Parts: sequence; structure tokens; C-alpha cells
Amino acid sequence: MRTRFFLAAALITAAAACNNPLDLKPAGSIPEQTAISDPVGARAALFGAYGGLQSLSYYGEDYPILLDLSSDNSEHTGTLTSFGDADLNELRADNETIAGIWIAIYDDINRANEIIAKVPQVPGLDADEMHEIIGEAYFLRALNYHNLVKVFGGVPLRLAPATSINDPVGSTRASVADTYVQILKDLDSAQTFIANADQTTQASLGAVMALRARVLLYEGDYPGALQAAKAVEDLGQYSLAPNFADLFSETGSPTPEDIFRIIFTAQQFNNLSFYYLFDGRYEVAPTPDLMHDFDPSFDPNDDVANYAPTDKRGQWSITIEDDNQQGAKFRSVQGTEFPHVIRFAEVLLIRAEAEARVGSLDTARAKVNEIRARAGLAPIGSLSQTDMINTIIDERRKELAFEGDRWPDLVRLGLAASVLDIPPQQTLYPIPQREIDVTPGLTQNPGY
Amino acid sequence: MRRFPFTRAAILLLGLTLLGAGPAVARAQQTAIVRGTVTDSVSGQPVNGAQITVAGQARGTTNDRGTYTANVPPGTVTVRVQRIGFAPGERQVTLTAGDTTTVNFALHSVAVTLAQVLVVGYGTENRARVTGAVSTVNGSDVANQPVAGLDAALQGKAPGVQVIQNSGDPGNGITIRVRGAASISATNQPLYVVDGVPVQSSDFSQLGPNGQGLTGVTGLDPSEIESITILKDAASAAIYGSRASNGVVLITTKRGSAGNAHFSFDANTGWQQPERYLSLMNAKQYVAFMNQGAENDGESDPFTPGVDDATSTDWQKAIFRTAPVGNLHLGLSGGTDRLTYYLGGSYFGQTGIVLGSSYSRASGRANIDFEASPKFSVKTSLAYSREDDHRIPGDNSLTGVVTNAIGEASIYPVRAPNGTFAGNDQNLYYANPVAIADLNNLPTTTDRFLGNVEGTYHFVPSLSFTGRVGTDVLTMNELEWDSPLVDGTYAAQARGVAKSGYSTGSQYVLEGFLTYDHENADAASLNIVGGGSVQYNTDQLNFVRAEGFSSDQFHYVRNGTVITSFDGLPFNNNLVSAFARANYSWKDRYLLTASVRTDGSSRFGPNNRYAVFPAIAGGWVISDEPFMGDFGRKLGTLKLRASYGVTGNQGLTGDQEISDFAYLGLYGTSNYGENPGIAPTNFANPNLKWESTHEFDGGIDWYPFGGRLTVIADYYHRLTSNLLVNRPIPATTGFATYWDNIGNVLNRGFELGLSSVNVRASDKNGFSWNTDFNISFNHNEVTALFQNQPFGDGDNFRPISRVAVGQPIGEFYVLHFKGVNPQTGDAEYADVNGDGEITSDDRIDAGSPQPKFFGGLRNTVSWKGLSLGTFLEFSYGAKVFNLMRIFADDGGYNYDNKFTYALNAWTHPGQITNEPRASFDGTSGAREISDRFIEDGSYLRISEITLSWRIPDHLVPVGNLQNTTLYVSGHNLHNFTKYTGYDPDVNSNGSTSNIALGTDYYAYPRARTISIGVSTNW
Repeated sequence: MRTRFFLAAALITAAAACNNPLDLKPAGSIPEQTAISDPVGARAALFGAYGGLQSLSYYGEDYPILLDLSSDNSEHTGTLTSFGDADLNELRADNETIAGIWIAIYDDINRANEIIAKVPQVPGLDADEMHEIIGEAYFLRALNYHNLVKVFGGVPLRLAPATSINDPVGSTRASVADTYVQILKDLDSAQTFIANADQTTQASLGAVMALRARVLLYEGDYPGALQAAKAVEDLGQYSLAPNFADLFSETGSPTPEDIFRIIFTAQQFNNLSFYYLFDGRYEVAPTPDLMHDFDPSFDPNDDVANYAPTDKRGQWSITIEDDNQQGAKFRSVQGTEFPHVIRFAEVLLIRAEAEARVGSLDTARAKVNEIRARAGLAPIGSLSQTDMINTIIDERRKELAFEGDRWPDLVRLGLAASVLDIPPQQTLYPIPQREIDVTPGLTQNPGY
Repeated sequence: MRRFPFTRAAILLLGLTLLGAGPAVARAQQTAIVRGTVTDSVSGQPVNGAQITVAGQARGTTNDRGTYTANVPPGTVTVRVQRIGFAPGERQVTLTAGDTTTVNFALHSVAVTLAQVLVVGYGTENRARVTGAVSTVNGSDVANQPVAGLDAALQGKAPGVQVIQNSGDPGNGITIRVRGAASISATNQPLYVVDGVPVQSSDFSQLGPNGQGLTGVTGLDPSEIESITILKDAASAAIYGSRASNGVVLITTKRGSAGNAHFSFDANTGWQQPERYLSLMNAKQYVAFMNQGAENDGESDPFTPGVDDATSTDWQKAIFRTAPVGNLHLGLSGGTDRLTYYLGGSYFGQTGIVLGSSYSRASGRANIDFEASPKFSVKTSLAYSREDDHRIPGDNSLTGVVTNAIGEASIYPVRAPNGTFAGNDQNLYYANPVAIADLNNLPTTTDRFLGNVEGTYHFVPSLSFTGRVGTDVLTMNELEWDSPLVDGTYAAQARGVAKSGYSTGSQYVLEGFLTYDHENADAASLNIVGGGSVQYNTDQLNFVRAEGFSSDQFHYVRNGTVITSFDGLPFNNNLVSAFARANYSWKDRYLLTASVRTDGSSRFGPNNRYAVFPAIAGGWVISDEPFMGDFGRKLGTLKLRASYGVTGNQGLTGDQEISDFAYLGLYGTSNYGENPGIAPTNFANPNLKWESTHEFDGGIDWYPFGGRLTVIADYYHRLTSNLLVNRPIPATTGFATYWDNIGNVLNRGFELGLSSVNVRASDKNGFSWNTDFNISFNHNEVTALFQNQPFGDGDNFRPISRVAVGQPIGEFYVLHFKGVNPQTGDAEYADVNGDGEITSDDRIDAGSPQPKFFGGLRNTVSWKGLSLGTFLEFSYGAKVFNLMRIFADDGGYNYDNKFTYALNAWTHPGQITNEPRASFDGTSGAREISDRFIEDGSYLRISEITLSWRIPDHLVPVGNLQNTTLYVSGHNLHNFTKYTGYDPDVNSNGSTSNIALGTDYYAYPRARTISIGVSTNW
């Protein structure tokens, strides 16, 4: 009997040992060592990098919404205190939404870095496909860094996956100029490697060229921006969508205006409509000032029911629901529009502004009038250079309202402080406090 | 090597166990029977539940008639009987094989804990010989409470055990901290062990409201519990090494004893109401206040007096109700000298005081003990429970029933003129809370099986082997329906949202251990336990969410048009352990305990998979020393204790896929449209290792005045190091956080438990008065972090709680409100760094959510069957961040209703007030998150008053009922506090939150309950 029990004890122990209960594998993840080790993994990693753009802290919600909220386009009507602070331009460094944006963008930069570092070593990957994958990764890295520099100023440039949590790359902010140098370098690489010309939900050659035009405009290199925008036009493959509303179709239907836009589905949804619509969360709403811009006869102090713009963009972008104005550019129920990262209308406006800056006012006027014609507005006549530039900036405001362009426009033009009557130090977003706290040496923007 | 499934091992073990039983039965006739009655020496009443020990071996307990029967080997043996509250009795008898010997005992009531038999890890221990810090709570102290879980019922009842109710919704998960929070990211909840087997206590809920977690503990029916032992210091807990650093709660359920079938019956029913209402503005006050705010900013009036304030709604009255709560319990126990049983069934039902919420639990238990031979016995403990929990969608979040009842302005009606719920057409600013409660639902059913079979074989009376298989299988089925008819919600936009979540949690434990017990009459005693254990945890979750319904009449995923979210994944983590402990005592005067446990966890990589947790403890009954002489006897028994030990924690929290494999670099899924994509999810930390707690405990057990007073006092010093922290890292790496072993947390404190028989009853009808008091002081401090970098945690606006060296975990860290400028009416905040700007660098340490001390006071007065019990519970020094004020005391920036104290707002230059001026545009600084919203969370709660009457048996007309008792109770009758919310005992981030504590984000208030009940036996 005694032996029987010792036997039982021994067997339990043996059972445990043979089963090796401590040697388990994750069920829903794969080890990093084997993730990008074959062509399937390389392709999946690229899709994952596009997937990063969908984050609700990024294009899915916070990035475009906050960038209009900080400007004169939107005001805060909801409950998120971090949004309220952005609306009032009283941001503090510990704003959670800003931190989320920072984290989401660097997450996507890391995805691109992983691809750039690992895909060239993947065995069995056809050279053309390998080039396409890393080319698109370079494009994404350029886009991400530009999205950082336009709101934060110069940022740490991480160009390879971190090898250790404590590696010091994150501690040093590059200057704004050096950040732009890197962005343009990545765009050069993208242009070298990308072969496809016609994708719109992934980067194409046209997307690389269009982004270059935007980057150069923001950098203030107007002749460069002019050439880049012209090059996109010269491709001849893009034109304005005849009907403005088609751009925001609930299912992401394509238009000839699409250059690069992001897929959203019912599962991978954006919150744009939910945050803007009165029947949704109604976290943000258009300002009466923007309504006045769309409909000059509308007095911002009036009952919003009087809002009746002739501008088709004004008709689509702002509607009145239960006596409340709502941003109605995005109207899908499940958040399934494919919002544009860049579309042809913006390229035309970049061209127009760059032409105006270099003094080609007639070309500028022609480009603006293309945009105005689609909006159902009369063409503008001859204007002075200053008036022309102001008109173009105003057209940008109306064309791109709620797409996250107004705030960076005001900042790059040095207008944020005067238009919004805010302290100059609020024109750059704070580097998130959590990042300052964990990265010794990282410097904060002034005033935070 | 061939895989050997553990189930096969289990079957083998059981088979062997039964094999062992076979031949043993044949020898049963060689035993002798000892039986007898145990009575109270004063009252002559039978003593129920007294433990019988024969020759050092536990032989069951007495039944309600005080009788016992034990089948023992013949020879001269010592029969010992002990019961909490009585001095133990001991007799030596000579037994002959086949004969029956009667041994009766009359026990002297001492009403102290000295004689208590405590359940400790892998065995029992007499209180007199305990060397560690151990608290006990009687089952009767947690039964018949109007709360679902025994964890909630523990509040204030044991020193060193802090219970935070989090929220008052029925069935809500509770936060428990034993001797303070030791961990920053890993779990801080104690390990629960039921009848020797660790059980799952984590939150399996996939759906639902913030802060309304569910814990596995609610599935245990408190009326089945015999006793609860809480192992607090490392020396006591180290035998459970792996997950013991947060203390161990050992729960022992009721068992049968030999005798006729005995029924016990309890029934009570009660009525619950809100303990208080908040003072919010009525329509006139609201309109005037908001208009004032607009005028202050030069804006036109948003509301028209006389029109917009024509009707006024009290939204709190609209969602609160008087709700019933009740409990039924029927128990049956009895048995023969070889087979004893306890069968119990209970039903607990609670309707919430907020519309739409309720909780019920049906449970049953069968504990059957079989003594196959004097050498071999089998214990089975089987329990099943089913919980039905209706939570309120969105409570504790931005849109919820309580949230919106406070947030919705009083100017809006509950119903539209046509009788439907008011909504967008009535301009309601937030979704109608009554509509949410009425039209949405979130029912959750949890089925739980706890099964435990153990066999013990005595090779010789002093040496035994115990094999044990324990299972804890839980399935949780959650459904949610968000109706499209509730205006202002996402569901209205999406035409209805249905969710279906199905989670299973399974835990299997296999254990075997040898116990050696040697008692040398009055001299030395030695007890050694050693064995091994394997624990398998397998969880699985499935989830699907659909939108787009043709009608509100559909409520389930099947009828939707679009699946918007789905999940399905198993999780595994395992533990392998070996443990040993030795207790040595000499003359019961010198006591020594040493233990060691080695644990291996699948959650750590090969570099640091195993850890060793040693402990040592000593006790010295100094009052028994001869040199104390007469003074020692006058002093009363006095024992000095000291212990030192190490315990561990592997309870990584958060995303379980990451927490199970944090040592690996991982890629997860990141699809792009229909294109399958992957992305990095975890940065590898191959050196991740166990968090460990080193604890010193020094204490005394003192029983002066002839044992009428019990004093148990402890000082402890717990240093938790190698903290498992999901620490923030530079996000430029692509990762926001990373599991790492960083930093230290110190908890040190003092605990005192007093138990006093103030007036001892002269006979069974005499007057008696007992008092129990406990108080705990804990100092919690983070003493080191990674490069001493602080980091914060908070809600979706701003981190308001943080972890910083030199501060307690969860210290509030916000701007400092200096006051209201009498000239401008603007709120002024301290420019701490003097740079002329108010920035996040101007934040200060603004108070701790952890109390300086807390405890409870119980008084029981009895006379002739009448008994009056009162229980007060208190907490002092904790701060509460009243987050409701961000919207309800913001000067009018949000359209939320306002607390009436905002009516004290500044209105004219020169006015001295603490309320900033109203400001429609939010320019007065009133909306700034600062210490203006931090309030004193100290409270003294009249937790319970119970008046009971034990009806003399001859007055009970029915059958032969005994000990029939009628009672009336009030619970949470009043809370004395300066806090302006419902209840300062709050934690809206729920039981899984470690850092963000003490925040009140529209928490569901706790009810005041008045109940009546009856209990009887036959």
C-alpha cells in the first residue's frame, strides 16, 4: 500500500515533467523572429503598416479631428476634456489625446522600420515585389514624420527598429530642417522603389509625388512645391471628382480624385462620423465662423437654421440636425468611409498657392477656379498677390474642412496666434509629458 | 518524450486512492468507536461545530445536538475537543476494538481566539501555536449580508484587510488589499483558496461598463462558509509562494458530522434605497446659472427663463427605486461514524436601486467525507453556482444611467408629450438615462463548478499522504443590447448594437503532500508538510458584435446586418511547485516554523522561470516562562511572534496574450481591409522575472483578564522589489509600454485586533456584552522606479494619478487651486515653478487615495435570547477625486446639470468665495482639473444594526424546531462623511486598477438596506 501511494506521487510528478507544463506557446501571436521571414510575412507586414494608419488615435479619429478642433473650423461640444483643451488652445503636456497621437505615429514608423530592415533579407521574395514593399514603407515613414513635424516641430528620427528599450535615439530631437531632409530622402527612396501607378488605398508613384508637393509647401519651398504639384498633374491620371459628395462615400467608392486614402471597414472602423454627427457622439461641431465662411450671408450669432450656403462643399460638410450644426462630411453609420490622406484637389491648391507665391497669379487663379467650379461657385477674377494667397488659403479651409488640414495651415503660415487670438507657444503641440518623463534629454516645446 | 495528459494522471491518482480504500474496508471491524456530547459548561446548551481530534488526527465536528462519533484505532488515546470561543477539553481513554466508549465534554466559554483552530496552508494550526500574522472571520459574520460576495462582506472585519466596494451595483467586483498595495502593474488582489484549492478570482468580463468588473469570488455562497482565514504576513503565506504576496484568503466550507440528519434554514428579505441623493440644480437654478455664465463672457443667453425652466425633472428620482433583496438557504448535514455529509442550497436575489440592474445567484454544495478505514479517508467538496447579473450598460462611463442622471440638465422631461422617452426632439443633451435603463440591457450568466477530491492515507497515525485534485471551471455568457431607440447613443446611429461574449476559465490543480505529525505529550511537537503541485490555467474567450437591426424587437447578434467586431482565443499559463514546511514547538512555549516553496511559471522565460520563496517564523509564549512566576499568570497568556519571509507575484495584468508571454517579442494581427496584416505588439524582455515581497512581521498575542480580552497586534514591514511593471517606455521605439522588473514599493504598518467579553453571562439567560475592534495603519510608498521616472494613469482626459518615488501608489498629481480672485472671479492656480505660466510642470502631489487608517467596531449585547449587534466601519485620511465635478462644477462650460454648491459662484468684484465665476466659454478656469475636485474621503459608516430574538423552543408551535431566531437588520444605514458624492468608498476604475484609485466617476451608489429574517434548525 505504501508503495502504491509513493507511486502515485511519483506519477503525478512524472506527468507534470513529461507534459512540460511550463513550455507554452502564445495562441494569438507569432514570435518576432519568424514574423517577417518569408514572402507572406513580408506582405503581411506591409499591410500591417497601412493598418497602423487606421488607429483611432490617428486617421481613424483623433489626428484629423484634433487638427480642426485646434483651429477655427471646429468647436468642442462633447465631454472629452482633452478635446476641450484643444478647442480652447489651452493644451497641457499631459493631454492624453496628444500622447495617443504621438504613440500611434511612432508605432507606425516602427512598422515601416521593421519592413525596411527585414524585408530585403527575406528569402524567396521576388526583387520587384521586395522593392515595392520597402518603397511603400519609405512612403509611410515619410508621411508619418511629416504628420509629426507639422504639429510638434522637429522630432526624434528613428530610422531602424529599436534594439534596446534604452537606446538613445529617442532622446534627441532633430531640427525641423533635418526632419524635412529625412522626409524628402524617404520620398526619394519611395520614388525609386515604388513601381505601381494606380493603387489608391496603398502608396503609388502619384502618391509619393503628391506628398512631396505637400511637404515642400509646408517647408516653404514654393518653387519645389510648384514643380512637384505640376508633376502630379502631368501624370494625367487624376481629376476632380465631379460631385464633391462622392469623395466621402460611405463605402469608399473610388473617384478619379483619389491619390491615397485609407481603407476603413465595419471592423476596422473610423470614428469620424460618430464624433461629428449629432445623432452620434457629437463630440465636436463646426464653428459659426466656418459656417459664415461657407455662407457669407450667415451671421455667426444667428439661429443656425438660417445657414444656407450655395457652396456645395458647405452644403455637404455642414448640415443642421435638430437645430444643431453638425460636421457632416463623414456620414457612414459604421465609420466605413475611406478618408483621403491626399487627394487631387489638394494638389491643385498646392499648385495654386505655390504659383501665387512665385508670382504666377494667372495660373494660380486658374487652379483655384477649377476648385471653385466643382463647388458650384463663380470664378474669381484678378487679385493682388496677397489677396490671391489669402483666397487660396480660404479655399483650402473650405475644401479640406474636417480633414485635419486647417490647424497645420495656420501654423505653417504663422497665422495661428492672430486668427485664434492665442498665445504663440500654443502653436506647436506639446511633446507628450509621458515621453518627456521616460526619455531623459528630450526637450519640450516652449511654453509647456 | 510522450505527452502524459494530466487528466490521465488525475484518474490514476483517483484509481489508486480507491484501490487503497478497498483492502482498508476489510479491516474496519478492528476499530473502536468513541462518541459523546459536547456542551457549554455555563448554559448546558450543546456546542455545535466543535472539532474532535483523536490521537492527533482530526475526526470531524459535533452536530447541532453537540454529539460526535469517531471511528478510531483501539488503544490508549487522547480525545481532544476544541471550538472557537471555548477552552479546549482533553481526555485520555482506553479503547477496545469493537467497543463503543462514551466521552462527554463540558467546555468553558472563553470567548477568545486562543483555542481557535485555524486553517493554514496545507493543514491546520491551533491559534496558540501560530507564529505568523493570521486573521480569521467566522462564516456567520459574512452570511446574511445584503451583498453578493463574501469579499464585500469582509469589509471592516479583519485587521490589515482593506475592502473597497468600488461601486454599489449588485454583484460588482471588489478591490481587496491585504496590508496595502504592493504592486504597480501586477495584480494586487489576494489569492483565494477554497478547501485547500486555489480558485480563479480574476475578471472574466469581456463586455460592459468601466469599473463594473466581475470577480470569480461572487460565485461562492457566503452561507456555506464555515470560516475564513487570511494569511497576511509572508511567513504564513509563503507556503503558497507564487501568488501569495498579496495575502491568501483561505475559505473553509461547512462539513457534516456524525449524527441524525440535521436541517438548517435561513430566510431574509430586505428593502434597499439610496443612502443619499446628491444636491443638483433644479431647472430655474440651472437656467439662471447658465445664463449668468453666458453674460459673464459677453455671450447671449443660451436659455430663456420662464420658458426653458417651465418644467423641472429630478433625474435621480427618475432612476432610483426602492428595491428588494433576499436570501434563502437550506442546509442538511449528518452522517454515520464513517460517512458524513453536508448538503446546502441557496438563493440570493438582489434588485438594484438603479433601474435596470439586478443580480441573483443559485448555488448548491455537497461536501461528503468518507472514512474508508482508520487509515484512509476521502473528502469531496463539490459546489455549483449560477449567477445572473444584469448590469447597467454604460454605468461609470461617459454615457450611462447614473452618469446621465447626474449630467442631464433638470430642464428636460423624462418623457415626450406622446409618452415615449424624451430624446433629440426634446433637445436632451445626453441620452435619456431612463431610456438607457429601460431599453438597453446587459445580462450576464456565470456558471461555476468547484470540485475538489482528496484522499488521505495514514501510514501510521503520525504520517499521512494527501493527494488532491481540484477543479474550478467557470463559464461566463454575456449579452448586450443597445437599443436604437435611445437617442444620442452610437446604437441610435448604427440602428442597434448587439454583443455576445462567451468566456471560460478553467483551473486544474494536482497536489500531493506528506504530513508528519509528532506530539510528545507535553514536551515537543513537530509537524512537517512537504509536497508538490501542478496548476493548469486554461481560459478561452469568444466575442461577436453586430450592428444594424431592422427593429428594436431584435436583441441578439443573429439579427444584425454587420459584424463589427469579433474575437476568439485560448490562453494558457501553468505553474509547477514544490513546497515544504516544518513547525516545531516545545512545551507550547517555544514555537518555530520554517517553510520553503519553489515555483516555476510559464509566464517567465527560461532565464528566470523558477523562484524560491523561503520563510521562517518564531513564537515565544513568555508568560509561561517559569521566571515570570505569578506575574505570568496575572498577565495572562502572552506570546511574542516574529517572522520573515519572501513571497512572489506573477500576476501580470492587462492584455492576457501579452501578460502570458511578456518575455517574448511578439507580432499580432493588424489587418488592412481584407488584406491580412501583422504588426509588432510586444517588445521582448527575456529577463522578466518574479516580483518578490520580503516581509518582516513582529507581533504579540495577549489574552489578559483570564482570557476575556484578546489582543492581537502586529507591526509589519513589506518591501516589494523587482516590481512587475508595464512601464512606459519611449514611444519612439514603437511601443508605449513594456513589462519590466523595476522599482520597489514599501508597505509598513501596524494592525490591532481587540476582542473583549465586557460582561460575561452568568447563565444562558444572563446579560452579556462583547466587543470586537480592529484598526489598521498602513504607510504605502514607492521607494524606487526605473531611473526613478514617475508615470501616470488616468481616464480619457488626463493622468491624474501617478506613481512617483517617495509617494504612495496612485498619489493624485494635479494643479493646485489657490482660490478665486475676488476681482475677476477667475480660479487661480499655483505657478509652482514660477515661470509665469500654468503648465503641467506646475502640478503638485495633491493627496493619496489610500487611507491613513481604517477598521471596524462590533458590539453585541445579549439578554434572554435577545441580541443587539452593531457594526461600525471607518476609514480615515483617504482622498477622493470627485471627477463628476469636471462636468457638474465647471462654471457652465458643459451643458451638464450642476451641483447646487456652484450657486455660490462669484458674481461681483470684491466677493470672497471658493467657487469661480460661471463661464459659458470655459474661461474662468473652473473647468481646470485640479485639487479643487479632490475631497476628504474619510468616513464612519453605520454598517449594520441587527436586533434578533431567539424564540424559546417551547414557544415554537411547529414541529421540533430549535434555536429559531427572528431578526431585523439595517445595513449601510448612514455614512458620516464630508464627501459630496454618494460614497467615498469608491473606485470607478474597478478592481483591476492599480494606480488610478479613489476616483468617483458617476459610481453606482451603495444602498441602505433594511431587512427581516428568520433562521431555524430541526
